[in-house]
Amino acid sequence: MIELTAQDWQAIQLTLKLCLYTTLILLLLGTPLAWWLAQGQSRVRTAIQAVVALPLVLPPTVLGFYLLLLLGPHGAVGGTLEQLGFHHLAFSFSGILIGSVIYSLPFTVQPLLESFRRMGPRPLEVAQTLGAGKLDQLFSVVLPLCRGGFIVAATLTFAHTLGEFGVILMLGGSIPGETQVLSVLIYDHTEAMNYSQAHQLSLGLLIAAFVVLFIVYGLNKRFDRGQLT
Amino acid sequence: MLRAASRSSTTSRPKQPTAASELSIVCTLKRGDFCLQLNDTLPLNGITALFGRSGCGKTSLLRAIAGLDRHPAAQIHFGETPWQHGKHFVPVHQRRIGMVFQESSLLPHLSVKQNLLYGYHRLSKTSPRHLQPAQVIEWLELAALLPQKPEQLSGGQRQRVALGRALLSQPQLLLLDEPLASLDQQSRNEIQPFLQRIARQSGIPMLLVSHQLDEVVKLADQLVLMQDGRIHSQGPLPQQLLQPELAASGAMSLLYATSSGCQGHLLQLTIGEQQLQLPAPLHSTIEETDAATPATYRLRIQARDVALSLQPLTDSSVSNQLQVRITGFNLAPHPAETLVQLDLAGQPLQALLTKQSVERLGLQLGQLVYAQIKAVALD
Repeated sequence: MIELTAQDWQAIQLTLKLCLYTTLILLLLGTPLAWWLAQGQSRVRTAIQAVVALPLVLPPTVLGFYLLLLLGPHGAVGGTLEQLGFHHLAFSFSGILIGSVIYSLPFTVQPLLESFRRMGPRPLEVAQTLGAGKLDQLFSVVLPLCRGGFIVAATLTFAHTLGEFGVILMLGGSIPGETQVLSVLIYDHTEAMNYSQAHQLSLGLLIAAFVVLFIVYGLNKRFDRGQLT
Repeated sequence: MLRAASRSSTTSRPKQPTAASELSIVCTLKRGDFCLQLNDTLPLNGITALFGRSGCGKTSLLRAIAGLDRHPAAQIHFGETPWQHGKHFVPVHQRRIGMVFQESSLLPHLSVKQNLLYGYHRLSKTSPRHLQPAQVIEWLELAALLPQKPEQLSGGQRQRVALGRALLSQPQLLLLDEPLASLDQQSRNEIQPFLQRIARQSGIPMLLVSHQLDEVVKLADQLVLMQDGRIHSQGPLPQQLLQPELAASGAMSLLYATSSGCQGHLLQLTIGEQQLQLPAPLHSTIEETDAATPATYRLRIQARDVALSLQPLTDSSVSNQLQVRITGFNLAPHPAETLVQLDLAGQPLQALLTKQSVERLGLQLGQLVYAQIKAVALD
């Protein structure tokens, strides 16, 4: 039967918080980045696109390792923060949030890039000749025409952050309420031979992931347009 | 042979919403093999056709004028207003231009009505609204389409909506980038009368990009001939049709004639002192007793449909016979033929004859002869 401990609940809460924050931050950062990438082909764009896609191929431990060096007390970022009187970012929620943002970046940028490319420049040219300024174009043309791309980007980012493990373990460890997300807790339960508790959480995560992906593919089909007619 | 069309009247032109009468452009652009080199002034009056082969720079010119492409060193002035000069650049959405693109460009997430009003709703509170939605919907016969989505429309209907949408943004200049090129012949014939009507009734100057001469001859008042990224020549359409470059795609002439009414289904037309009779268009609304307000018609005449004789023919079925003066001889695309240029009460007319006929009749410059016109297309 389902019997979640306070620790489990805390982990669920923390995981949802991490997923939500990551998704919001990535939509804000990923939209202009994907927009810029969609504006054409150049060597710089290709290089940036490769960097964005790096988390897809690198083992999470590599990413986690370098982030630990960077954000830790002696790293460029962490060290500077320490000098300024702040705390470094390793083993903190802020730290794993930064890690998640980098790790899930391709899952935001790719769907957006694709939907921007599919839309093409013409709808915006049309809007301009009809008197729409930049911001107006964003809200009256880009958002409605690329709605599918935004929904897919948001869901995929959320779902991918849900399944994050390696980066968090390397960078955040397993501090309850701070860095102990579901995937890490399942690992802890398993290490401690608490198989039934690990099972509960794993099954829950499995079902949640399936539902999310089911929705994404459903939406993908529904929004499979964006061409001007 | 009469291709019928609508009636053209110059009598009831509404006030021009624009003060600018010309557009000047200085632009040099190199892109690979293509080179655009312009230092010209285009007239802004009625429909001005930008004509030339594909790839000669017509669309590039139009996009530069619109501000969709920004070429660093270009200078563009709309009348006295600088649109681009040095660092000064008026962005597209502030130029108050309307643009109709070659392929359909309706916004797919909006209904026809929302598309039509997209620009209209974005006008500032103080800017004048010469054209009202009801008016444009009536002109373009869009009432039945309003609730539909763009994807439900045919190609011709979409271009009509795009045209209406551009008009309702109250442009001071309308740019048409081959708006009919992606349509079939039937849809083309369906839209052309709308374009003429709008140019006439709205008074908004139009630049029409086209590579189809018959379309240009039907619609335009002026013709700008483009070649290899430069403007080769420009001027009123009837005079421009004499350019040898245009003869290659089938030499023809355009005559303006005034009507003095209808007699037994025959339209009575006057050019200078001379009379023509043509079968009146059946499905157009020509009032039989309209002599009080003479209407102007455009007569399109293929050079091969004009024959010449030294004396007026009395035993011929051709009833439209006009006295003309020979003003020149031009090379025709075929080596055995000559294009004879004629003057008809100040208007140019061309006749395509074989060189043999020219010699046989002994045709000379300045000679008065009789032109038999076998076929006329009427607009």
